[in-house]
Amino acid sequence: MESQWLSLLDVSIDFDQSHLFFPRIVTWILVILLAMIVITRYRLLVPGLKRAGRVLAGREGEFDHKRFFGTLALTTAYFYLMSVLSDVFPNTGYSFLIMSVVFVFLLSLLYVEHLTRRLFVILVLNALIAPALAWYVLAQLFRITLP
Amino acid sequence: MDILSHLTPMFFGLIAAGTLIGIIFGAIPGMTATMAVAVCLPLTYAFGLENGIALLLGLYVGGISGGMVPAVLINIPGTPSSITTTFDGYPMAKRGEGERALKIGIVASVFGGLFSAAVLFFFAPVLADFAIKFSYVEKFLIILLALTVIASLCSNMLMGVFSGVLGVWLSLIGTYSITEGGNGETRLMFDFMEYYLIDGFSLLPVLIGIFGLTTVLLDAEKGFKDETGQGPISLKGGAKFKFNVFKGQLLNLVRSSSIGTFVGILPGVGGSAASVLAYSQEKNFSRDSSQMGKGAPQGIVSSESSNNALTGGALVPLLSLGIPGDSTTAILIGAFTLQGIQVGPLFIGNNIDTWYLMIIALLAANVLMFGIMYFAIRHIAKVIEVPKYILYPLIIMMCVVGAYAINYGIMFDVWTLLIFGIFGWVAHKIGLETVPLIIGFILGKSAEVYFVKSIESYGNLSIFFTKSPIAMFLWVLIAISLAFAIYLRLRNRRQPTVES
Amino acid sequence: MKAILGKTCLAVLTSAAIGVSASAQAAEDCPLPGNLRVVIGSTSTGGDTYQVSSMVVDQLAEQLDINAKVDAVGVMPGFQALERSRHGNTIMIFHDGSYLGHLYGVNGYPDIFSKFVVGPTIAINPGNAYLVPKSSPYQSMSDIIEAAGNGKQVKVAIQPGGVSEIGFTALKNAVRMQYPGKESNIVAVNTGSQADKNQLLFDGAVDVINGSVQANEQYTQLPADDQKAMRFVWITAREKTIAQTNEEGMGDTTREQLLQYVTPNASVPMSEDQDFTFDKEFFLLYNKDMDPAAIDCIDNALADVYEGDELQEQLKRSFFVPDYKPTQEAASYLEEKNDEYKTIISDLKG
Repeated sequence: MESQWLSLLDVSIDFDQSHLFFPRIVTWILVILLAMIVITRYRLLVPGLKRAGRVLAGREGEFDHKRFFGTLALTTAYFYLMSVLSDVFPNTGYSFLIMSVVFVFLLSLLYVEHLTRRLFVILVLNALIAPALAWYVLAQLFRITLP
Repeated sequence: MDILSHLTPMFFGLIAAGTLIGIIFGAIPGMTATMAVAVCLPLTYAFGLENGIALLLGLYVGGISGGMVPAVLINIPGTPSSITTTFDGYPMAKRGEGERALKIGIVASVFGGLFSAAVLFFFAPVLADFAIKFSYVEKFLIILLALTVIASLCSNMLMGVFSGVLGVWLSLIGTYSITEGGNGETRLMFDFMEYYLIDGFSLLPVLIGIFGLTTVLLDAEKGFKDETGQGPISLKGGAKFKFNVFKGQLLNLVRSSSIGTFVGILPGVGGSAASVLAYSQEKNFSRDSSQMGKGAPQGIVSSESSNNALTGGALVPLLSLGIPGDSTTAILIGAFTLQGIQVGPLFIGNNIDTWYLMIIALLAANVLMFGIMYFAIRHIAKVIEVPKYILYPLIIMMCVVGAYAINYGIMFDVWTLLIFGIFGWVAHKIGLETVPLIIGFILGKSAEVYFVKSIESYGNLSIFFTKSPIAMFLWVLIAISLAFAIYLRLRNRRQPTVES
Repeated sequence: MKAILGKTCLAVLTSAAIGVSASAQAAEDCPLPGNLRVVIGSTSTGGDTYQVSSMVVDQLAEQLDINAKVDAVGVMPGFQALERSRHGNTIMIFHDGSYLGHLYGVNGYPDIFSKFVVGPTIAINPGNAYLVPKSSPYQSMSDIIEAAGNGKQVKVAIQPGGVSEIGFTALKNAVRMQYPGKESNIVAVNTGSQADKNQLLFDGAVDVINGSVQANEQYTQLPADDQKAMRFVWITAREKTIAQTNEEGMGDTTREQLLQYVTPNASVPMSEDQDFTFDKEFFLLYNKDMDPAAIDCIDNALADVYEGDELQEQLKRSFFVPDYKPTQEAASYLEEKNDEYKTIISDLKG
């Protein structure tokens, strides 16, 4: 009797298909949990989405579009140009160095609220020194591979 | 005695240098202890075995300890194992107690480090024999136990569990890796993604994306209006550090250090699980855990003592089985093979001098770490006074270095950083919980391998219950862990507290 | 502001470009970059691929007077980096796994002989071995083949799709030849790291594991009553390969003792009159468009390095066998090797 019950728990996995076994289980659990969330909270869902849309469109709430999307755009450009430029200067880290100088400077500029002449000099120095230092220590001394 | 001749100023100088460099690597978001050891590995060839090992052990201890600095000060874990340090460290820093939080962490770290070094010295071979009693089944259960902590760490049960499962799901994207015994087929993606995603997403870029870049995006959205050149948080005010904060913490220290050491000993169970397990056990079993997550010293104590205890633990299987206990010791093994030294069950007996020197180096590294960090912390803590328009661009830059360098130069890892930075921001907006998600992500892959391999080996699900007394004991722990999480949740619901 | 930035940028770019061209001319006739990146097909810095690569690359870089760095990126990222690098800034070092993966049909493995230029071989790791528990009834490979032929199931722990599987395939093939139809008694238990393979043996879940002389020798020295004790049954290397290792062998096992586990003493037949052997060889891979002059350059530099004793001794100290073959010779040699194993693998499938 007992062994009959145990055989219910028999599972065999075909090695060729074994990559799908666990992901399928996890996907099902995920779908069930998602359904539970939707069922228990559907009342919050629609107004929530509407509000999110309004915030992103800038009609409501405190949402700094310039800084948020600026950060995204600068970061994306930083990564993209870095990978392009690294084919120009392969295996030297120059691409990282050049793009970081530009990126650090522009992002600082984006974040600063009241720009003064003194602050501007500080930002320029920071953007020149910090990436150069990072590049020198990491790529030259420690020989870490940089883009 | 031959050992004494190795205890040169050079030996201790290298430990000190290693510890210092390690702390710096650990303290920079994106750089980790593993990376510090990997970077310095080629240097060891020139130094010879003993001195090389001294340097690497210093890096290891320093790197793990340094991870607490950004965790406390800017809410970004410096290494994966310091995730739990952010829970209480950052709230304390916000109260102006950053320095106090760090000092608590340092003392806890040195306790954990010394504790595990002692365990390593006295019990290594015995523990290694115990560790090999853990087959696929038991390892799967350990991971399941670690996953149950999600229940006690999340603020909303349903969302927390969903986030955790989502983390597991995300970790499975890519191939079922051959090096783990899989069949090398890809899943959970479309064919056109295969070129980039064949190895899936790596942990470090995901982690620093979700914690680092997301933090930047969330602040960017608010627009830095309160920036006046001064940092957002001051170092003044709040309680000062006194040693009596450790009164009543002995049990916590010993329990967390033991958990850390033990997780280190088990090869293949992610090292980051140590602090997560220790933190949740403190939450479940301490007399008063109501303040945990809101800036309670006990949370820092459990997190930091356990992640430093990992160091000694992970060296146990390395030195008595020739098997690394975590990702850092996996690189450490290279130092031995580069010198042509075999590590295996006979290592300690055959290289008794090296063994003693390693223990001395480990002790020295912990003491030096304490010395360096305890007295430098006043200055390090000033990081939070750096204005964000200077700090954030540099954090992103260092995250890029970390993401690119962790797998020795893969551009897709940098894109992963961006993808998960945005994902983390969205998750924050729709109420997903990032900590359960990361825990799921860290443990997901090993959970799969051990689960599938257990079934492949035994062909019946009942094996998970009947494999061994250890398996049954682990089920008891899992049940207790879940029961406590639910009990605490119900109790807290009855006495309403203000959730932040 | 923009102007300042532009000028700074330009200045940095120019100086960088000058830096590149200056270092590129370091080695006069060699069209090689001043910074050479060597990717390897392994993510481990504790493994044999990294060990061999770092020894050879260090010497090569010194000989060519360039900077070279070994990056443990792993198989797929390695192939991808190599494919992108048309100008020879990146080269790859890997072992027989690179074409065995393709032969076993593992997802993502290209045909390296058509997609890349197969470069010089540099060394052999002679340590690929099969082990049983010390208390095992199997004393030799013939015992195992015979047991399988008599209907006994023999479980072997391997990592699928590469170097670890090829010996298993040969064993299965040997059973098929002597006892046709019985080869299904040799069963693969697919697993990952050496730790997992050892663990399966400790658990008693498998009868034989794939391992290596380097990683498992100490386990063979343990007393028989230790749960962890193992015994070698087969080392897949050729006899002449093992004969080239240092006399001390590895750990407490001398070369003399190791030779007992190598053909003809430990025999896994591949055909009527020939035993199967497998030497795990490391070699360079280049991008298809790599400048032939650069390839010659590396060939010559390696030849010079292997002339001397330093690298040879260094390799031997770490239980590697120096094995330099220039590009042309190596490519045709490896292609033959590829064809040989292709036959065995397809014989078993058919």
